[in-house]
Amino acid sequence: MKKVLLSAAVASTLSLASYGFADGPIDSTIYGKVNVSVVNADTGSTDQWKLNSNASRLGVKGKTEIADGLYAVYKAEFEMFVDDGSKDSSKSKCTAVLDQDGDATGDEVCFTDSNKDTFSQRNIMAGIRGGFGTVWAGKHDSPTKLAQNKIDLFNDLEGDIKNTFEGENRVSNIVAYTSPNINGFATTVAMMPGEGADLDGDGNDDTGLTDGISYSVSYTKDNLYIAVAGDQDVDSQDLMRIVAQYKIDALKLGVMYQQNEDNLGTKDESGFFVSAAYKLDSKTTLKAQYGSIEDDADGDKEDTMSLGADYKLAKGTKLYVFYTDNTDSSVGEADTDATAYGIGMEHKF
Amino acid sequence: MSIAMNTAKLLCITSLLLCTNVFGACDFDTDDADAPNFMDRIIDCEQQPKAKLSTKKTARVATTKLYGEGTVDPISGMAERPVAAPGSMNHSPGKSFAARQSYSLRPNAKFEESVTIAIQRLHIEMAHYCAQGWAVEKQWTKASRQREGDFYLHYSFRCAD
Repeated sequence: MKKVLLSAAVASTLSLASYGFADGPIDSTIYGKVNVSVVNADTGSTDQWKLNSNASRLGVKGKTEIADGLYAVYKAEFEMFVDDGSKDSSKSKCTAVLDQDGDATGDEVCFTDSNKDTFSQRNIMAGIRGGFGTVWAGKHDSPTKLAQNKIDLFNDLEGDIKNTFEGENRVSNIVAYTSPNINGFATTVAMMPGEGADLDGDGNDDTGLTDGISYSVSYTKDNLYIAVAGDQDVDSQDLMRIVAQYKIDALKLGVMYQQNEDNLGTKDESGFFVSAAYKLDSKTTLKAQYGSIEDDADGDKEDTMSLGADYKLAKGTKLYVFYTDNTDSSVGEADTDATAYGIGMEHKF
Repeated sequence: MSIAMNTAKLLCITSLLLCTNVFGACDFDTDDADAPNFMDRIIDCEQQPKAKLSTKKTARVATTKLYGEGTVDPISGMAERPVAAPGSMNHSPGKSFAARQSYSLRPNAKFEESVTIAIQRLHIEMAHYCAQGWAVEKQWTKASRQREGDFYLHYSFRCAD
């Protein structure tokens, strides 16, 4: 992690702010990563090579001491698109065609997304931090998503567990409290006002303060991490997950169990996820993960399996290869099998 | 659904009651920004500005200039001499001063024209005005317009509170 000078505009803005309001200097750090991969993706119907940007990002984070032991903290992180410079510019989006009663006709209409964003918003937050903990707000990963704690070893790639499991949500209008770490225990509780959106999926506008709730409780001691997290009316679902991670010498293990159901009774899923990373030497790490989740409402099932290896070139820089197989099984239909393999590079700064 | 709500409220209240300020060690990685303890990382992994000498205070305190346009010393031929005698002490808490001393990088410069002597003289001045301690907030050098190879070393310093 390097401290870098901010651009002149940002720096002068922060300097002015420090003269006007801050009691202490404003510390800011620019950070980010570039993650590009060349991937062959076979969905069964299409087989193509792609260059992927894999959530490459640029962020600014920092704090200002506004009183003794009291800090204003902030983070603004943006995704950048290393492959073609714009979000979804070359991707087609399809939506179901509905009849007059609002029922799906089985047809789809597709169009090319014209979104040309150079940057896309990721986690943006501001808060006040003191001995009492942190009160913060913004658009951010939910406590449930944060609780996953990187047991997903193929995060941002085709094997990302968000492609199989619910609960990986970055939510808007989040107001949260994060406790201090107390003997290894920490908790985050967040609420999300709906602002007129239908958060719970019941067809009615949600206008309250706690239309959506997400929370997590974690315990960390030495090489052990355990977390319990849950959502209520987030992304139209209620969810509970348990996460554990343990490191034994060169081996790092992760496991997750999850239950989730939507508020319409059309989805009632439960599933598990396991991952293992083994450090062969100071440069090479082998990785594998598997997850499976089944819907008790309709019997559908989704599986994900990924294998890969990282080769560390320097601190913050690595090459990697991977293979992923995501299978979607629907009752009465043939399985949909999507496979991908590729090679990529990640550089963090 | 209501159980989740109650659990969340209970956790929040419990945390508020039990909380203490415990910050961990810092080893920031880009992915830490999305980690459960990302807030700790923001606090711990930025520089800790514990010094009381903030830029705000510096900007608001008038700085007393301890040098003039420079008088030429007949012995060394250089401008600026110590304005305070060693052992002569004062202290003005929180007050800021700016001092300068000349030095030379000319090949034939005498030892008393060296930057070492200039620094020593500046310290004598700082000790004179801030006998109980000080902080050098800024230092810079300007070339002398009187002779090529001569410079002025400036210290901006503030007496301890």
